[in-house]
Amino acid sequence: MIIENFQHRMAAHCESGSITSLLIHAGMKITEPMVFGISSGIFFGYFHKMKSFAFPTFIVRNKPGQMRRNLEKRTGVRFYSKDFKNAAAGQEALDNLINKGIPTAVQVDMFYLDYVPSWERVHINVHFLVVIGKEGDVYKVSDSYFPGVVDLPVSSMNTARFAQGSMSPKGFLFYPKYVPASFDYQKAIRKGIKKACFYMLSLPIPFLGIKGIRMFARKITDWPSLARDTEHLSHEVMKINILLEDQGTGGAGFRFMYATFLQQAAEMTGRPELKSFAGELMEIGDGWREFSLFAARIGKSRDLGADKFKQLSMLLNQRADKEESFFKRLSKAIH
Amino acid sequence: MNKVTEELRTEIKNLIMETLGISGVRPQEIDNAKPLFGGENALTLDSVDALEIIMAIQRKYNLRIADQNLARSVIQSIDSIAEFLVAEREKTV
Repeated sequence: MIIENFQHRMAAHCESGSITSLLIHAGMKITEPMVFGISSGIFFGYFHKMKSFAFPTFIVRNKPGQMRRNLEKRTGVRFYSKDFKNAAAGQEALDNLINKGIPTAVQVDMFYLDYVPSWERVHINVHFLVVIGKEGDVYKVSDSYFPGVVDLPVSSMNTARFAQGSMSPKGFLFYPKYVPASFDYQKAIRKGIKKACFYMLSLPIPFLGIKGIRMFARKITDWPSLARDTEHLSHEVMKINILLEDQGTGGAGFRFMYATFLQQAAEMTGRPELKSFAGELMEIGDGWREFSLFAARIGKSRDLGADKFKQLSMLLNQRADKEESFFKRLSKAIH
Repeated sequence: MNKVTEELRTEIKNLIMETLGISGVRPQEIDNAKPLFGGENALTLDSVDALEIIMAIQRKYNLRIADQNLARSVIQSIDSIAEFLVAEREKTV
């Protein structure tokens, strides 16, 4: 069976895209950028030394799950979520939900999704998709990175849902169990922006928010000494581009998506000043794209001299300056 | 209604070759319909080249292709880029 009336949608990001599709199916009028903005999705964190990462890395959005929790607080929607100890229990729960006609989002390791071309498959344990049906031994899947509904064998789904490793999915699933008939958009948007500004400006942790971008700028010049060899360094430098552009960020490390949110927010709240903030953030995003492209170029050409890392550092400091000024003014404007 | 012209296709090919510093291929050797990625065309491009092209389009035509899903479909081939440019021009008319 396939759940009727579920409309497959492509999205910029898998988690915000899955949430958006489920909420729209449940009757809410909302867009992916609005989900992202109300849930204060925009973020930055730099991790120079952490046990779970073999090499320094960074994030450009809040952690998985935070979007749902923030949405619950600000819109009144309630999500059911659960993880499982074994694949049999996880499959039984998913099948029961599908049989009840409830489209359900599941967390998977992208590597085991048969419909993803082999050259695009990587181990990412926090990919989200929506299961919208099951016919025999095949699930019907709405994956927001693909143009249409795709098939996935039950065995592959179970492997993907119960993959091991860092941030393993443990069969995690969720769906909206309650969606309010309406909510105060103005209030939700204001709270979402205020919290995003807090995350970017005021967290008292030296590697998060604007402080994190500045730490990245300081520490990136150490990267050559941390890599095994040129190949490894090249791989890590090129990953900057992947993290900013290729992993469902909506472009420029979610900056473009947040700018779209601000644009939509300007119209919904009747605050035209948010539109000019949106335009400014688009330009800030262009700068992130320039940084990303510079990293990709030097990584691809193995042109990895100290001068190039100084250049990366300078570009990062420019991003930090621009974003600090931007979020300070946005914070004042929204009060 | 504007249509994709051979002139526009050539302009796009020249933009790509200038942006990527490609000199060993003539514009007429690049197939308009075949994918630019994956080795089926006279040009074999990768994801870094894709970002270079996206930014070159932004600079030349003042069109930001923000979303990666859109970017992927736009830069599939010379024809898809040309169709995108024509569609965007129509929006501004």
